[in-house]
This record gives sequence, C-alpha cells and structure tokens, in this order.
Amino acid sequence: MVSAQSTRKKRLAAMGLGLALLAGLLSGCTGEPGKETIRFTFSKREAIGFMGKLVADYNASQDKTQVVMDTSGVDVVSASFVRGNPPDIALANYNMESSRFVQRGVLSDLSGTNAASRIREDLQPLMDQYGKYPGRTSALPYSVMASSVIYNKDIFAANNIEVPTTWSQLIAACEKLKAAGVTPFYATWKDDWTIAQGWFDYSVGGQVDTLDFFKKLADEGTGVGPDSSVSFQKDFDQPVSRMLQLTKNYVNKDAASRAYGDGNLAFSQGKAAMYLQGPWAFSEVAKTAPDLKLGTFPLPMTENPEDLRVRVNVDLAAWIPEASKHKDAARDFLEYLYKPEVMDAYNKSQLGFTPTKDSTVVPDPRIAGMAGYYEQGKVYQGPSVLVPKTIPIMNYTQALVFGAGPESTLRTLDADWAHLAFRQ
Amino acid sequence: MTNQATIETEARQTKPRTAVGRSRSAAGVKPERANWSGTAILLLCAVTVLLPLYVTVSMAFKTQGQAVDGNAFSFPAPFSLDGFVQAWTLTNFPVGAAMSLLVTAGTVVATIILAAFASYAIVRNWERKLFRYSFFYLLAAMFIPFPVVALPQIQLTGRLGLDNPFGVILLATMFQLSFSVLLFTAFLRSIPMELEESARIDGATTWQTFWKLIFPLLAPMSATVGIFAFLYAWNDFMMPSLIISDPALQTLPVRQNLFQTQFSNNYHVSFASYLMAMAPAIVAYLFTQRWVMAGVTQGAVKG
Repeated sequence: MVSAQSTRKKRLAAMGLGLALLAGLLSGCTGEPGKETIRFTFSKREAIGFMGKLVADYNASQDKTQVVMDTSGVDVVSASFVRGNPPDIALANYNMESSRFVQRGVLSDLSGTNAASRIREDLQPLMDQYGKYPGRTSALPYSVMASSVIYNKDIFAANNIEVPTTWSQLIAACEKLKAAGVTPFYATWKDDWTIAQGWFDYSVGGQVDTLDFFKKLADEGTGVGPDSSVSFQKDFDQPVSRMLQLTKNYVNKDAASRAYGDGNLAFSQGKAAMYLQGPWAFSEVAKTAPDLKLGTFPLPMTENPEDLRVRVNVDLAAWIPEASKHKDAARDFLEYLYKPEVMDAYNKSQLGFTPTKDSTVVPDPRIAGMAGYYEQGKVYQGPSVLVPKTIPIMNYTQALVFGAGPESTLRTLDADWAHLAFRQ
Repeated sequence: MTNQATIETEARQTKPRTAVGRSRSAAGVKPERANWSGTAILLLCAVTVLLPLYVTVSMAFKTQGQAVDGNAFSFPAPFSLDGFVQAWTLTNFPVGAAMSLLVTAGTVVATIILAAFASYAIVRNWERKLFRYSFFYLLAAMFIPFPVVALPQIQLTGRLGLDNPFGVILLATMFQLSFSVLLFTAFLRSIPMELEESARIDGATTWQTFWKLIFPLLAPMSATVGIFAFLYAWNDFMMPSLIISDPALQTLPVRQNLFQTQFSNNYHVSFASYLMAMAPAIVAYLFTQRWVMAGVTQGAVKG
C-alpha cells in the first residue's frame, strides 16, 4: 500500500512538472523583451527565403520593433479576423477574397504614408476594381505580375518568325510553325485555371476593355442578359471564337490530359514554341532548363498593334488591419518595405514589376517584352479573376475548349451573373 | 499525407488476416493448395500501397531538377538530402513536430480517459433516462463535421484564450468522443457484471472498481480508440490551421501546407517533409497494430 501511494505521488509530481514545462514553453514564445513585436503575414511560397532576409535586415537595423514572419497562409488570416487578432501587417495576393477585408472596412487607411504617395495613380483602378471602402486607401500594391505569351526565342529564330503584333501575323506564325512540324502552343487543359488565366483572359483582354466592361456589368446587375448594354454573350463572343480557333488548330494533341507541371516540363524541353503562362512559370521551367532563352509578348487579338495589352494582377498588396494594436510599428515596417531599393530588389528577384513612380528596375530579359506595355499602363486584369468565385468560370472555360457551344456557355455566364446580382 | 496514412492503415490491417488463415491451414492435416488467385489479388493490393510509398521515398532523395522531370519512378541520381534539409528548416521541424506531438498526445490521453469514464457511467446506468439520452447526445456529435461549426468555434476559442494547441486538444477530443464512446460501450457490455460484484464484495468503491478492474479490462479497446485518436489528431489539418493563432505554435501538417502551391511544385521538399511527418504514425501503428486488430474484432463481434 505504501509503495502504491508513493508511486501515485510521483505520478502527480510528474504531471505537475509536465504542466509547468508546457506553461514555460508557451510563455517563452512572446519575443524579445523591450521590443514591440509585430506579426507580418507573408505566404508567397517562392519568395519566403528572400522576404525572410529582408525581415532579418529590418530587425537588425533598429531596436524598437521585432517583426515575426507568419507564413501559414490565407485561411489562417481569415480565421484571425474572425477571432479578432489579425496580423499587424500583411503582404498578400490581392484578389476577390482579400478585397472582402477592404469592402468591410477592417483595414486601416494608408493614405497618409510616404509609400502611398509614390504609387502610380494609373494603377489605382486595378485596385479599386475589386471594390473599395469610401475615404480610405485600404491596400497598397507592392508587386505587380504581368503575364502574356511566353515564347521560345530559339524556335522562333530557327523558323524565321518575328514576334507577331496582329491577329493575322499570329495565325501566319502558327501556320509556319505547324508546317515546320513544331507545335505552336503548349496547352495544359487538365488544370482548368491555366485555361482561364491564359487562353480566356488573354483572348478577352486583347479585345475588350475589361475595366469598362465590368463596371457596366456591375451597373446592369440583375438586368444582365441578351438585351443589356453589355453582356458576356455579346462582348465575349468574338474573343471566345478567336480563342477557339487557336485551341482547335494550334495546340498539342494531348492538351486535354496535360497539367501545369507537365506543361512546364514539355516547354522546357522545347516541345512547343509558345506557352500561355505568367512569370511564375519561368522558375518552374528553369528547374529543368536553366539556360533556355525565353521572351514574352502580348497575345495579339486584333489587326491593330495599338490594341496590344498585357494581363496584370496585383501579386502582392500591403495592408494593415484596423484591429492591429501595433499600427505605428507596422507603418514603420511598411515604409521600410516600400523603400525603393528594398522594393526593387524584391520585384527583381520575383520577376515582378514595381508599382511606384520612381522604380529603376531593369527588367529581366524574359519579361522585357512586357515592360513597355506596363510602363504605358496598357494593362488589364483578367476577366476570370473579376468574376466572383461563386461562378465557376474556370470550369466554363474548360468546357469551351473541350467543345461546349460558346453561345450557350456565355449565356449561362450571363444568367449566373444576374442570379448573383439578385442575391446580393 | 492523410491518404497515404490511411492506405497504409488499410494495407496493414489485411496482413494479420492472411496470417490467421495460414496458421489455420498449418494446423490442418494436409497442407492446403496455394491460393493463386487470392495471392494475385493481394499482390495487387500490396502494389497499390508499395508503389506510392516507393515514389514518396525516392522523390524525397531527388534533386529539384530530377523531381520535376516527369519520371516519378526513376531512381534518385544523384542521391540528394537537399529536400530533407529544406523541409527541416522551412517547417522548423523540431518545433512543429513537438507541437504535433503535444496535440496528439493530449488528444489521445483525453479521449481514452473521458470516453472510458462516459461509457462506463452510461452502460452501468443504461436503465436511467438521463444516461441513455446522454449517450445519444454524444453520438449525435458524429453527424456534425468540423467545417460546419468552424466559425463559432474560432470565435469562442479566441474569446476564451484557447486559440492555441490546448484549444485544439479540447476540440479534437470532443470530436473523437462520440465514436470512442460507441466503441467503449459496445465493449463494456461484454464484461460480466459478476466481476464487478466480486470487487464490490471485497469493499471496492466505484472509483476503485473502475481503475483497478474495468479500465485494465478495457485495454484492447483503449488501444483501438487511442490509435484512431492518434491518426486523427496527427493528420488533422483544418482544425489546427484555423484554431491556433500563433504561427510558432502551429502543427506539422499546417506548416507543410506551404510546399505545394498552384504555381510551383517542390516535390522533393514536400515528399521529404511528408516522410518525416509520416514516420511517427507508421511507427505507432507498427507497435500497436496487434491491439488494434484485437480491439476491432472484439468490438465487432460483441457489439
């Protein structure tokens, strides 16, 4: 009996010790004493290493603030807003999802910052297109990704092809490549986002003024249909039929079963001359072919070279939540991130474009083909990202290239838009 | 990760069955003819497990270039540990593993103890309404998946200061409880009342009867319950990702989420990391599968 009691005592003691250890472990995570700790959400996987260095530099450069980088992703951020302890500052992809934070007014006004004054004004519509909160500059663009046709310079040179600037030149180039036994485009239709991002967006953006179109579409609301001033079935008919002309004649035969990863590999092996992907594909292609000579050009959809435009998206935007308890420290870090040398170095490393007026980045040769268009503001945001996620537009575009009727698909899109407008 | 772990589980569960079959035939008078069709099917089943496992292991040791070259089955050449190194640093593996371990251990212990308590009380008081209905109440939780109640739970845990691994332990235990109570009650009904009566005659209190008599008898079922709780807590992604607010306290599966994005593939890093995360689950299973099988069959027959 005595031994049983002593073991029980020991057991209790061990439990107490364990709990004490745990408490110590948890309380030990609060950061350095004397420094104000701010939480910085950053979840662009490819750039975590680079950003980690920037944060370390900042932490070493001053002794007031300690920045802790959180790479756990977007869902976690949404949960933290629900809980009421959002990150103090974030650099995140700017899209329909993150714009919800803007519309609901949970992000603080950044208009007074030095960083805000240096942003190119002509890019503001791109931010506002997702919605805005009256009287506030809720988010600032940090890195803009431009995407267009990626082409293999060696294949173009070997077949004596110039970069096409009109639709007929594009068709002529495709015919020439086809005659030479080269697949003009490598398509990866297994992943529906590649169709929406590349084929659909480039085709539509090359012909339709998306900024104007979506503004009018929003004004029409529930009235969108065959008789409204703008509609998918009217305005997208021509671009979609041209897209289908390309997808029917000039892509690899096994496009339907190829995924994005297969496409990067095949393109790196020179299996096609052109590839409709964004700059994110460059680093993937470089994994297997680091020395491949690649260039970019906007997909020509009309006979007028003046219509050429590149698709852009705000890959990273900075925002500071209203609920943050360390707004001043966060703003100081924001100004650091927006220092020209820091910002340019980041964008250079990620093949992005800097959205400030005073940027001095010399673009990488792979994206040099788009730099002129970006600087002149000849840009558009892809229609596929401007349609709310509730409408399965990626699946619709996949259906289109797999042979669904363009008229009926675009009609469905109109009906979906009207339904959604009715519900809201 | 989750899928692989379950595949692994299923495959291992088939093995003891064949072992039983063989021992029975060995005990018979003349050796049975080899069952070729059965063997072929089992081989096929084994391949469906071993092939992905082989790809996982070989991918983990490949270089980045080789990992994306489209030949999943090729042997790693050159042999590289780069994936493991990157996975180790990117996830801060020691801390992530410690957190996962804490959450898992907490969930397993709490589930076994609480479910055993509840089941014992319910089974011995089955004729009382309160206990009978509390059994159904607990079971009803089986029909509520976490995503449905995620939003209020994020808010609640946040307000109560439970937005850390302890909150996850609490919630995971609650979600595991219903299934575990079901298993325990089925098993408890098979334990004869006379055993308890003899303990009572010797002067044992209810508490002593439970700890000294019933709980040890429940051991095989406790192992089963524990393993289910282990697999659930170790592999769960969604709950920790939403409940834990401090990234430094995040569990492994959530940390691993950053390896695979829409735009980039890092197979060698991902698979190296998955291997490291899978190891404890496999090891735990290896050591306890005997009890799992015993527990499952006992519960199945007598339930």
